[in-house]
Amino acid sequence: MPTTRRDAMRTALGATLLAGSGSLATAPLTARRSAAAPARFVYANNSPYDNLDPHTVFDTARAATRFNLYDGLYRWVDNPPKMIPWLAESHTVSDDGKTYTFTLRQGAKFHDGAPVTAEDVVYSIERILALKKGPASLYLDTVKPGSTKALDARTVQFNLARPSAIFLVTVPDILIVNSALVKKNARGEDWAEPWLAKSEAGSGSYVLRRYDPAVGWNARRFKEHFAGWGERPFDEVEFRTVLETNTRVLGLQRGDYQGVDGYLPYDQIQRLRPVKEVQIIEQESMRVFQFALNTTAESMNDVHFRRALAYAFDYEGFIRDIMKGSVSRNPGPNPNPIWGTPEGLKGYSFDLEKAKQELAQVKAPLRPITINALAGFSESEQAAALFQNTLRQIGVEAQVEVSPWSVVSARMRDARTQADLVPLWKSTYYVDPNNWVGELVGSRYRGSRSFSWYSDPEIDAKLDRALVSNDHAEREKLYEEITQIASDRALGIFIYNTKWYGPYAADVGGIRFSPVSNGQDLRWAERKE
Amino acid sequence: MIWLDILLKRLLWVVPTLLGLLAIVFVLSRVVPIDPARLAAGDNASPEQVEAVRHSLGFDRPLPAQFLRYVTDVAQGNFGTSLFTQRPIAEDLSGRLPATLELTFVAVILAALLGVPLGVVCGLHRNSWVDHLLRIVTVSGLAVASFWFAMQLQFLFSMKLGWLPLSGRIDGFPPEEVTGLMIPDALIEGDPEIIDSAIRHIILPALTLALPAAATVVRFTRNGVIGALSSPSVAYQTAMGYPRRQVVWKYVLRMAITATVTQLGLIFGILLAGAVVVETVFDWPGIGAYAVRSILQSDYNAIMGFTLWTGVMFVIVNLLVDLLQAAIDPREAR
Repeated sequence: MPTTRRDAMRTALGATLLAGSGSLATAPLTARRSAAAPARFVYANNSPYDNLDPHTVFDTARAATRFNLYDGLYRWVDNPPKMIPWLAESHTVSDDGKTYTFTLRQGAKFHDGAPVTAEDVVYSIERILALKKGPASLYLDTVKPGSTKALDARTVQFNLARPSAIFLVTVPDILIVNSALVKKNARGEDWAEPWLAKSEAGSGSYVLRRYDPAVGWNARRFKEHFAGWGERPFDEVEFRTVLETNTRVLGLQRGDYQGVDGYLPYDQIQRLRPVKEVQIIEQESMRVFQFALNTTAESMNDVHFRRALAYAFDYEGFIRDIMKGSVSRNPGPNPNPIWGTPEGLKGYSFDLEKAKQELAQVKAPLRPITINALAGFSESEQAAALFQNTLRQIGVEAQVEVSPWSVVSARMRDARTQADLVPLWKSTYYVDPNNWVGELVGSRYRGSRSFSWYSDPEIDAKLDRALVSNDHAEREKLYEEITQIASDRALGIFIYNTKWYGPYAADVGGIRFSPVSNGQDLRWAERKE
Repeated sequence: MIWLDILLKRLLWVVPTLLGLLAIVFVLSRVVPIDPARLAAGDNASPEQVEAVRHSLGFDRPLPAQFLRYVTDVAQGNFGTSLFTQRPIAEDLSGRLPATLELTFVAVILAALLGVPLGVVCGLHRNSWVDHLLRIVTVSGLAVASFWFAMQLQFLFSMKLGWLPLSGRIDGFPPEEVTGLMIPDALIEGDPEIIDSAIRHIILPALTLALPAAATVVRFTRNGVIGALSSPSVAYQTAMGYPRRQVVWKYVLRMAITATVTQLGLIFGILLAGAVVVETVFDWPGIGAYAVRSILQSDYNAIMGFTLWTGVMFVIVNLLVDLLQAAIDPREAR
């Protein structure tokens, strides 16, 4: 039978398809590559890595940049968190509590080989204070520009404007940059902000290799790091932005990623549990979900109205049905694992009768209230919807608006624009009750770190004392009293403390979760045998 | 001369079109519920610092003066600086353009390769079972949500079969950047593994974009073929005894393809402006993913830059489509 042109084409097409299917049927490229490639850890996160500057970026979701590329004088590790010496080997505090002197360890180097010196520490804190971004709000009150001194190459002295009981626990957030390198790339008075947004000048465990704001960043292990390394560390780490939750989850299952952000919706965690290539590391975190109340708004400034709201939220129903029991009830502003909460603090429970009784004592006429939920955070939106429903049962109308965090946070900078209620989380920036209840109620934090805009001389007096006392027992008692007042006056509606479910590849070991670094600090991570 | 005439006429419209777009974008950017000066100054800035930033960015000037400054900056290629990445918007957009361009190009080629032959088949067999079947398929292609389709493709080809990657543009490090387009750069580098990886990564997102586009192409080609078949010239060529294949592929298709080309051009423009959903699902670092991120972060400079970019793309693509139509059928152009 003669071969026609059509037959020849069919044969060619068939051969091409066969060849193609043969090629496609081989193992995925990632798997094929992994045999020969160095140990690589890819972390998929939903937050964009659009800025690498450790003095600008401060949110816990992007902790990876700060803690893998940079070092601080001290470092938070493990859970419950403990602060360990890092670039500093020790410190002393003067009797008046205003002078902190740190001795730097010998042998610590930046990635370009330059030694880490006291001058670098001075430059780093001055840069933080000058930029007034990221962690600056922790220091603006107590560390004045020009007050920090390098006594010698290994000794740096912080001279505080006033004693601060929380200064030491915020020291890990002063990440040290290579001052010579940063100065070299500065233009005028910009402190090299544009340059450091896309480069790095650190001494951290990993050295930046490539950065693409559209993708993420990739870094190689800094073998000369002063802390040394375990037996099977990852030679290469990569942090990628993957916005779509489903893609992150599937990528972890498939082996494309070795780690995914630990605050996935719980249904995704349940989906990952049976996958044998995946492990879920569970830890009770320090991240309190609450309704922030704008206590300056009309009606919201009435304690009876706030209490009525606090009694009108269905805490158990929310935790049981929406959160599927994955979190624990947290009745006060401080997370359950930390000190500073009076023993037996009950907070509020869902009781519409009590809510109505409180409402009856409200002097001003009832008005519709606004709830500004966070777009893209299902728990925030669901809490708002649930609350809207139960509030209606006591005759309070609530309008729910859903906005991106940037919009919500910008509104929260001004009491006149902040919504009446904002369902959100308060994360761990430093491990002290002041991070939660102190910043919630202290007048000094209004307009910066306060959610409530509350101001009361009695609370301020207690807080002022708690912030200067060096006596832990005294501080504990003061924070317990402040917490009790915050609860009695319903200065927030406190719902649950988050549980961290860290999804990692099953062959990854050595993850040391801390609520500060959120499981993104990879210096102890290693491949299992 | 026809081309030049079209070019001049269209270019005359470009300036007022873009000015109108600029005005709309500018006004919209000023009614969003955030304070750009506050965003730019940072979370911890004092009111005085916010005001200083407001002054330095010109936000304290009258709106017409701000608009004039904005137009002048844009004319000089300055779209402003992203409030979050701290980089010029033009740099951000141009950095993401190759990814979107490559994805769009492959998707449109796929759509044309699938859609044109199927459209011709439908047109030639009007109201037959083939036509009905393909109509169901094409309507489904238009109706199906792209994020759903994308996830189904991921489940099947990445998770079940393991044939194709789940997301991203390439495994590991990309090749040395020459064009910014992954496949050409991989070809230039000549590493078969990188070429293989680049091609594998683009298949699923391109297919997701190509399906609804192909459905549109089928519909327009079908209608064009039906119209052409009833034209006197085709009746004449058929009566003259030309082979059917020649009549269909040489004469009918040429008449029918004009509307299809217009559609392909529009599809190209739409996709070039950012395939928002597909780029997000497949973690494709293009313009669409950038737009999503900018909106989520209220990076209003970036949003303005992106919107303007979209408008410019449409203007350019429309111009090219007009020129292409004139090339295919000069009578249409006249």
